[in-house]
Amino acid sequence: MAADHDDTFVPDLLPERNGGQRRDLSQYFGRASLLNSVEICVSEPEKRSILSSVGIKDTYTVYLVETRIKETSSKGIVDAPTSLWRRYSEFELLRNYLVVTHPAIVVPPLPEKRGIIQWQEFKTTDNFDPDFIERRRVGLENFMLRIASHPQLSQDKIFHAFLQQEDNWKESVYETGFQAKSDSRLKNLNASFRLKKPDRQFEEVRNYGTDLQTNISNLLKIRNKLADRLYGIHKIHGNYGRVFSEWSGIEKKMGDGLQSAGHYMDVYASSIDGLLEEEEQYADQLKEYLFYADALRSVCRKQEVLQYELERQEENLSHKVKQKEELQTGQASGFSFKGVTKLFKTETPESKEAKLKQLEESITEAEEEVKKSQEEVTVFVDHALKDIERFRKQKVRDLREIFINYAILQIKMAKKGVAVWSNAKECFQKM
Amino acid sequence: MAEVEDSTKDSGRVQGEGLDTQQYDPLQNPLTEGLSVNDDDFEEEDLRSPGADSNMSNASQTALAGSIKLEDQEEETEEEDQDMETRDLFVTVDDPEKHSGSMGSAYVTYRVVTKTTRGAFDNPEYLVRRRYQDFLWLRNKLEETQPTHLIPPLPEKHSLRRFDHFSPEFLKTRQKALNKFLTRIADHPVLSFNSAFQIFLTAKAWELTAHKKQGPGIFSRMGDSVRNVAATYMLKGRSPEYTMMGEYVGTFSEKLGTINRVSERIIKENQEYINELGEYSPVFSLWSNSEIELAETMTCMANCIEKCQEAVQELNDEQEQYFLPPVREYLLYADSIKSVLKKRDSIQVEYELSQEESSKRKNEREQVKISDPSYSISSITGKRPDEIKEQKMAKLERAIEETLSAWEEVIQHLQKENAECANDTEAKDAE
Repeated sequence: MAADHDDTFVPDLLPERNGGQRRDLSQYFGRASLLNSVEICVSEPEKRSILSSVGIKDTYTVYLVETRIKETSSKGIVDAPTSLWRRYSEFELLRNYLVVTHPAIVVPPLPEKRGIIQWQEFKTTDNFDPDFIERRRVGLENFMLRIASHPQLSQDKIFHAFLQQEDNWKESVYETGFQAKSDSRLKNLNASFRLKKPDRQFEEVRNYGTDLQTNISNLLKIRNKLADRLYGIHKIHGNYGRVFSEWSGIEKKMGDGLQSAGHYMDVYASSIDGLLEEEEQYADQLKEYLFYADALRSVCRKQEVLQYELERQEENLSHKVKQKEELQTGQASGFSFKGVTKLFKTETPESKEAKLKQLEESITEAEEEVKKSQEEVTVFVDHALKDIERFRKQKVRDLREIFINYAILQIKMAKKGVAVWSNAKECFQKM
Repeated sequence: MAEVEDSTKDSGRVQGEGLDTQQYDPLQNPLTEGLSVNDDDFEEEDLRSPGADSNMSNASQTALAGSIKLEDQEEETEEEDQDMETRDLFVTVDDPEKHSGSMGSAYVTYRVVTKTTRGAFDNPEYLVRRRYQDFLWLRNKLEETQPTHLIPPLPEKHSLRRFDHFSPEFLKTRQKALNKFLTRIADHPVLSFNSAFQIFLTAKAWELTAHKKQGPGIFSRMGDSVRNVAATYMLKGRSPEYTMMGEYVGTFSEKLGTINRVSERIIKENQEYINELGEYSPVFSLWSNSEIELAETMTCMANCIEKCQEAVQELNDEQEQYFLPPVREYLLYADSIKSVLKKRDSIQVEYELSQEESSKRKNEREQVKISDPSYSISSITGKRPDEIKEQKMAKLERAIEETLSAWEEVIQHLQKENAECANDTEAKDAE
C-alpha cells in the first residue's frame, strides 16, 4: 500500500533558476521516496535539429536529466549515475503512461506545453525564447522530483528506465501496451452518463477540483493584469527622470538636486523588471496547482467510469436474475410483451430447462463480473482516497509556502520603493 | 536702449517685512517677498527646500516629516500675526454654496470677506458672494489695467479628472486657490489699489454686473495679442537679459508641462491599478470558501490586498490634491511671464518705431531749415507756408520729444517691473 508522507517536513519549494545548484529538498523525502538514495536534476537545455522524413528540419529542445547516487543508497534501484538527454515529448509520454498505469494516483502535472497565461502580452509565445525554456526546465525538474518523491510512482520501472535507459526507452513504453488500456476507458470517458449512486466523496473532490481550477486561473489572470499595470507605472516614472535631467540644465541652484532626483526616478523605473521576474516564479508554482486540479478531476472521472461499469454489470445481473425468475415461475409480472407471446407460444419443458441452465450460467458469470467490478471499485476508491489525502496535505503545505514567499516579495518591492523615494526626497530637500 | 538697471528693485516696497523671519510661504506672498529681496537674501531663499519644510519652524518640521503640505493653518496664522501691523487689507474666501441658475444650469458661489482700514473703502468690513466667472472678470480687468504687472493665476476653469464640479474635494481645492489668488492681490503694493479689485470686493450683485458689462470687447484683446505676436518678429535689438529670461521661461514652462502630463498619466494608471486590485481581493475571499486549512490564509490575503488598495488610493488622491495644483499654478505663472515679456517687446517695438519717426521728422526739419532761406527770399507767398511749416515743425518736434520722454518713462517703469518679475521667478524657483 502506498505509504503516506511524513508531516514533519520543512518545506522549501522555491525553485532555483540555476539547475545545478543544490536546493533544500527535505520536503520531498519520505520513507519510500527515491530521493533518499538519488539526486535528480534537469539542466542544460540545448537545441537540436534533425531532418524529418519529409526532409524538413525539425528543431526542438532537449534537456539533460542527470541522476546521481547519494552515499546513503542501499536499495540499488538505480545502479549508477546517469545522464541522458530527453525532450519534452518524452516527458509527456512518461506522464501519459503513468496516468494510465496508476489510475488512482493524482499524477504530478507537466509544465504547460506553450505559454498560455503570460503577463507580458506582447511577448510572443515562442517556444525557443530563453526565458520560456528556463521556466520549462524548472517545471520539468519539479515534475521529476515530485514523481521521485511519490511513494508509489517512484517505484515504477518505466520511470527508472526514463532515468537510466538511453536507447529505445520509447519502445519499452509502448511495449507495455498501456495505450490499449487507456483506449477502452477513453471511450467511456467521453460519453456522458449518469450514475445511479454517485460516490459522494468523489463528487466533493471533483467539485473541489473545479473550484480550485477556477480560483487559481482567476488569480493568475488578475495577477497578470496587475503586473502589466505596475510595469507601466514604473516605466512612466522614467519619464520623470528624463524631464528632471533636462530641467536641471537650465536651473542654477536647483540643478544638482534635480539631476540626482532624476537619477532615482530612473532607478525606480528599472527596478520593476527584476521584481516582476521574481513574481513570475510564484505564478508558475500556482500554475502547477492549476494543472494538478485537472489531474485530481481526472482521478474522479476514472472512479465514475469504474462505478458506471459496476452499475452496468449489476443491472445486467439483476436483469438476468429477473429473467430466470420469470422463466421459473412461468409468470410474467404485470403485462409484458413476453407474457403475450407466451400465451401464443408453447414452452416445452426441455427448452425451458435448457434456457434456465443457460441463464443460470450467465447469471453466475454476471455475478463474477459484478464481484470483480466491485472489488476493482473498492480497491480504486481506497487507493485514490489515500492519494488524494496525500495530495491534500502536500497542497496545503505548498500553497502556504507560496503565499508566504509572495508576501515576502511584496514587502521587498515596497521597501525598495520606500528607499528610492526617500532618496529622491533628500535630493529635493537639498535643492 | 540698453538701460539695464538692477538697482531699482526696491521701489514700490510698501510693507516693511524683511526676511528676518524664516517662516514665510513663498506661495502665500510671493510678490511682497520678491520685491524686498536683494541678492544676499536670494541665496537664503534658494537654499531652502521647496514645500512645507522650508516654511515651518524646526518644531513643526519634525511634526510634518514626510508630508508636503503647502498650505497649513498654523503658518497662516503665524504669518498674519506678524503682518497684522503692516497689512491693512485682509481678504478671505470660504463657504462654497451651490445654486441652481436659470435654464437649469447650476453654479457655485463663494463667500468673500474683506476687512480693511484703508480710507479708499467706505466701510471697514465687506461680505459678498462671488462665483468663478467673477474671479475671471477681475483677473482680466487687472491684466488690462496693469499690463506690466504679473497677475496671480486662477485655478483652472474645468477639472480634468474625475472630480465633478460639485464634489466637495473639488470645491475645497478651488476655494483654497481662489483664496490664495485674492490674498496675493491684496498684499500686492500696486495691484491692491486697483479700482477693479475694490469693486470686486465691495460691489453688490447689480453693481458688479453693470461694471462687467463695461469691459472692452473681445476684439481689442485680440488686437493686443496680434500686436504682441508681431512685435516679437519686428524687434530689432533686445537687451540680452530679456532674451535670456524669455528662453528660461520658455524651457521652464515646457519642462513643467511635461511633468504635469507625466503626473496626470501616473495618476490615471494608478487609478486603473487600484481598480484592478479591487478585483484581486475577492478572488482570495472566494477561494477561502473552498479550503479548510487554508481558509484563514486566504481571508488574510484578501484583507491585506484590500488594505493595499486603500493605501494606494490615498496616495493617488493626495498626489492629485497636493502635487498637481502647484505644478499647474507655476505653468500659469510661466504663461503670464511670457505674455508680459511679449508686451514689453511690443512696447519696445513701438518705441523704436517712434524713434525712427522722430529722427525722420528731425531730418525733414533739417531739410526744411536748409531750404528755407532760398524759399523766403524768392517768393513772398512762400514765406507764409514756410512759417506754417516752421510752426508745424516746432510742434512736431515738441510732440516728438514729448512722446520720446513719455516712452522713456514707460520703458523705465517697465524695466522696473520686469526686474521685479525676474525676482519673482527666482523666488518661485526656490519653491
